[in-house]
Amino acid sequence: MTSQQWADDRLMAALGEAVRAARAVPPEFTEAGKAAYTWHNVDAELAALTFDSAAQAAAPALRAEEASPRFLTFAGAELTIELEIGPDSIVGQIVPSQPGHVDTCPASGAAATAELDEIGCFIIRPLPPSPFRLHCHTAAGVSVLTTWITL
Amino acid sequence: MRDDAPVATLVARARDGDKHAWDAIVDRYAPLIWSICRRYRLDRPDADDVGQSVWLRLVDQLAFIRDPAALPGWLATTTRRECGRVLSAARRQEALGDAVDAEDMPGDDPEAAEREVLAAERNAALREAFAHLPPRCQRLIGLLLEDPPVPYADISATLGIPVGSIGPSRARCLDRVRRHPAIAALISNEIPAGGDPNDQPAVGR
Repeated sequence: MTSQQWADDRLMAALGEAVRAARAVPPEFTEAGKAAYTWHNVDAELAALTFDSAAQAAAPALRAEEASPRFLTFAGAELTIELEIGPDSIVGQIVPSQPGHVDTCPASGAAATAELDEIGCFIIRPLPPSPFRLHCHTAAGVSVLTTWITL
Repeated sequence: MRDDAPVATLVARARDGDKHAWDAIVDRYAPLIWSICRRYRLDRPDADDVGQSVWLRLVDQLAFIRDPAALPGWLATTTRRECGRVLSAARRQEALGDAVDAEDMPGDDPEAAEREVLAAERNAALREAFAHLPPRCQRLIGLLLEDPPVPYADISATLGIPVGSIGPSRARCLDRVRRHPAIAALISNEIPAGGDPNDQPAVGR
């Protein structure tokens, strides 16, 4: 017994739709998805986004808020990363403060490194290409990776 | 969908470091992500931005996916959220333009969203079945799907088969499509139009 839904003409139409849906996708769109796999198995603990001031202002603001910085917090098991994103730089702090460095890793492009100062602060200037993530390495050997940040 | 073994297998293999499995997942679901971007009327750079963000997130999530069968739904939801983000960012740049409620954005209709995911699953299964057809079936079906339609005389000349056997060949090829496990699973799970969901006949025998 054959379902009416899958009779020859319907099946041909469905095949046509399936093939066209795949052909409509630009090859580079698919390739970029495949390239994302290079981030698989990076040996670091993931720090999840726990606060984003931009998400708090999800409702359209009455005034353009480009003058106010955006605040982000990422929490890992052993440390927290606080970020203040300004118009041309990012000021960050690792809590608890400790020596180490922070790599800024854009999805495409080279990583840059910033040292942590004595109170765990670092500055990234200019703004990295979006999206990017921060990879924090402490002198004690802790390795923490934020989720992706989009500006 | 009950028969989720292929997706589950691909996810498990990708989690274990198999790049080919990851590529297969991307090939399978990139059309879903792309079609959602189109529905949100994103331009090409924004669509690229959304696509990249969705796949980067999935890479991070691979180790934590408990139910791989839910992957298409997760991809669709994440894509819609990213589309919303890109659109609100664009609106914020327009600053004092008309404020548009997030509710006005497309894709907030849960039923439409569900249909979108089901259509993507169905299309992926159909493409998989098509890819497993013998080459002569692929060529015949491919020619029959051309738009504008290719005259039977031309198909006959191209494939070297009599015009009279195109119809029967087509029927045999489509039977193969229906017998492919991915399609057989779809057929057996499908509720016939207008039918009572509790009275589902055992189709596909």
